[in-house]
Amino acid sequence: MKQHPGGGEISDTEQENMLSLLGLYLHIPFCRSKCSYCDFYSMPCAERQEARKLMQSYTDALLLHMEDYAGAASHHAVDTVFIGGGTPTVLPVSMLRILLDQVDRCFNLTENAEITIEANPETVSRSSLRSLRRAGVNRLSMGLQSANDSELRLLGRIHDSNGFGAAFADARAAGIGNINIDLMYGIPGQTPESLRRTLEYAVALEPEHISLYGLKIEENTPFGRQREALEPYLPDEDTELEMYLDAIDFLASSGFIQYEISNFAREGYACRHNLKYWRCEEYLGLGPAAHSYLGGVRFAYTRNFSDYIKALEEPDKGVIILSERSRIDEDERAGEYIMLGLRLTEGVDMGSFAERFGFDFTAADNVRRKLHMYVENGFMTADAGRLALTPKGMFVSNYIISSLIPCDREEYAGLRSGTEL
Amino acid sequence: MTPRQEHIRNFSIIAHIDHGKSTLADRLLEYTRAVPTREMEAQLLDNMDLERERGITIKARAVNVTYDADNGETYSLNLIDTPGHVDFNYEVSRSLNACEGAILVVDATQGIEAQTLANAYLALDAGLEILPVINKIDLPSADIPKVRAEIEDVLGVPAESSPAVSAKLGTNIKDVLELIVSEVPAPDGDENAPLECLIFDSYYDSYLGVVVYVRVVNGTLRAGERIRMMHNGAEFDVVAVGMMAPFGLRETECISAGDVGYITASIKDVSDTRVGDTVTKAEEPAAEALPGFKKVLPMVYSGIYPADGARYGDLRDALEKLRLNDAALSFEPETSAALGFGFRCGFLGLLHMEILQERLEREFNLDLVTTAPSVIYEITLRGGELKRIDNPSNFPSADEIEVAAEPIVRASIITPAEYVGGIMELCQDRRGVYKDLSRIDDTRQELHYEMPLNEIIYDFFDALKSRSRGYASLDYELVGYKPSKLVKLDVLLNGDQVDALSFIVHEDKAYTRARKITEKLKDNIPRQLFEIPVQAAIGGRIIARETVKALRKDVLAKCYGGDITRKKKLLEKQKEGKKKMRQLGSVEVTPEAFMAVLKLDE
Repeated sequence: MKQHPGGGEISDTEQENMLSLLGLYLHIPFCRSKCSYCDFYSMPCAERQEARKLMQSYTDALLLHMEDYAGAASHHAVDTVFIGGGTPTVLPVSMLRILLDQVDRCFNLTENAEITIEANPETVSRSSLRSLRRAGVNRLSMGLQSANDSELRLLGRIHDSNGFGAAFADARAAGIGNINIDLMYGIPGQTPESLRRTLEYAVALEPEHISLYGLKIEENTPFGRQREALEPYLPDEDTELEMYLDAIDFLASSGFIQYEISNFAREGYACRHNLKYWRCEEYLGLGPAAHSYLGGVRFAYTRNFSDYIKALEEPDKGVIILSERSRIDEDERAGEYIMLGLRLTEGVDMGSFAERFGFDFTAADNVRRKLHMYVENGFMTADAGRLALTPKGMFVSNYIISSLIPCDREEYAGLRSGTEL
Repeated sequence: MTPRQEHIRNFSIIAHIDHGKSTLADRLLEYTRAVPTREMEAQLLDNMDLERERGITIKARAVNVTYDADNGETYSLNLIDTPGHVDFNYEVSRSLNACEGAILVVDATQGIEAQTLANAYLALDAGLEILPVINKIDLPSADIPKVRAEIEDVLGVPAESSPAVSAKLGTNIKDVLELIVSEVPAPDGDENAPLECLIFDSYYDSYLGVVVYVRVVNGTLRAGERIRMMHNGAEFDVVAVGMMAPFGLRETECISAGDVGYITASIKDVSDTRVGDTVTKAEEPAAEALPGFKKVLPMVYSGIYPADGARYGDLRDALEKLRLNDAALSFEPETSAALGFGFRCGFLGLLHMEILQERLEREFNLDLVTTAPSVIYEITLRGGELKRIDNPSNFPSADEIEVAAEPIVRASIITPAEYVGGIMELCQDRRGVYKDLSRIDDTRQELHYEMPLNEIIYDFFDALKSRSRGYASLDYELVGYKPSKLVKLDVLLNGDQVDALSFIVHEDKAYTRARKITEKLKDNIPRQLFEIPVQAAIGGRIIARETVKALRKDVLAKCYGGDITRKKKLLEKQKEGKKKMRQLGSVEVTPEAFMAVLKLDE
């Protein structure tokens, strides 16, 4: 049996028959500057010679890494590509094009593959967007966060809302027909009214997709370090819930249907790449700190930028770049299926679950009791054999999901046999 | 007195906690070469780990050593160790009755404390020769002359020439041994009279059955003879008799008047070998039992439940095993609507209760939920019937009660003078009735209060310690029952009464207590999907209320490729946390909630 470089096995059927589908993620760990709330792995870098050299050697490393996977990936068809970051568009367009060419060379890209790139308004121009479009990019994801400039400044964003509008128009002019706008609620000082204005602004631009994320103050970010000072300005839980529910209503009335806890799209424009994560489908992530789920194994590459480059430049030096690797067994797969599936408004179809895992996860008495309580109180729906969270339920989804998924072997056994969770 | 008896010395060591009783015992054994130093585990007499950790002796133990005295004679010394805590006063008194002398260890830096006094009085009651020994003279703050004066003033026992030792360093240990030989009276008693043995301890051994520790008061006992326990008439054939050597039992041909020794007789149940009972012979029984026997009765009751209901059987087995060595422990099955199947256990006191809980958790690996302790209330019903209530759930409703009475103790508190004010306030607050205040020395005073026991079993001891920076010491004894305005306080979570949280309180304190308890509970109930009212009620009337607000937001906004593993771990952890919760109807509660009602003085 052959192995993926990440360690997952390639099944015989994969080798012989039809190609299975794979999502490809390329991580670009650079940013023009770091936002106050961000704990993603990226290196802020101004455009200097030094930075350009780093970007060049990183691009070279990614090229090599794709090359490594070319053989193993010949059994897959890549139907989604997502170039994320950081801010991928801080990379010169020439390098991005080289990367996209390599994707095409090393992987079986499907005809209608969704190819997304993340961008910030200040790192794109009409010509760079045209160039990306010509290189195959057909989906753009841009961070607006807020249409309120004082909220933007607080977030450490370097664009303003006018700049965003111009960049959006440039993308359209460049022929990009599928654009996402990232927005945020729960910003210090934000009110339901200012959020509503931000939503109105975004909707007026007529994107195909909107992501709305709750601000989470992470340790090791500027926000994390100022937590105490910010605390009084943070909207309280009740206000946040109000913002969230209002946003769902408003977006729905504007034609954006919620399909995941934080994601909304016009009919037919849900992000196909991201759906793979929530439907437990396979994806390969390349770059430092990028994660993959391939051949039954979840694995990730090192967060260490220079280790990553070194390992690819000089494969014989024995630099280890896999930072985690775990085989997901049948039990865990079932737990993940519920955990991730319940993030989607489509929820989890009990029939498909039983077919896939061979047991009814609602058989146990205490699971039934909980589900009944959640449904009764409007946190979930259970229509036509499909379990799903309501918007109100999504806002407490950690609580609900953690009460439904097993935390150890014993509980999995109980769940399988339908005795007790 | 026979020449054999002239060479026997039976003595105890008594002290306040931490004054160095066990360390001194070690040194005595070491000096008499009973125990080679390198093999000696610290504090041999304290057999249980738990005792070692807490630095206290829970169960009395005894050991026999041989000492070659300066006068050229060889003596057989029986050291009987006593538990140092007020919960075990009766056991202490029986151990003392097996001796002729008591070494009173006093810390040279602390002087006399509440349990020093309590134990000294017990020893005086037992008619023992009291031999003060001043310990910890190696410490810089030791004040030997002051402590000598204190012992003489307070106890009226001469201490001018008392040995001053450092048990820790082994200084002047021989002085103590010489003192024992010269000052502890040799035992008497008639070797040929009908057998009278005083039981002062026993333990269960899986091979030997119950091993009974006795002091032979009169008569002689040999293997093969038939004995009778005078309190219940149970009879057994003696398998062996002997002495307690430092490293185990040493069988002898017989034990006779004046000896401290053991008996084995294939006894299966420790309840047949009650401390204080008299062992005699079936053939030629003693006319009457030795005085002072009483069946110790639990003073404090608490419900003990397995955290995991499936382990009820394990809990029962564990309690049965512990009871083999602890005749004072009582338990019977009880059911709580909130907690399921468990046991109502009776204890001599709070320490006894804590020790038992710890042993269950540690030695038997059980997770427990324990309800707040209760004392026994004596309720006279309107019809004249008397009921003893040890479980608040069974407390009759107000209109059925003619008179409700609660146990009262006489509490003795010794404290540095500057804390007297604060402590009096505390005692008043706990419904204490002031009795008297006396001066022990220039700096310390002794306070006496009569207090309801139910005010002591909560956090009184902790409160006392915190108000005296740890200096005050407490001793108490039951003096009787007094009528009192008692009410049952019920707790309701989300509108449903939780039986395991009910408790009995004096009417005047019901409101304050109710407020504190609802506050405490609120902190012990994690937020859930709906708002949870926490209420306290007397007879259906709500007198306090708090609200646990509903959980509104618990969501991870982003969960993409790189977040899945982390998110899964997070949710599994959250799940594990939930597993520890107790489900009370529709409400999840931390297991600590049941004890939270105890911490009142915060």
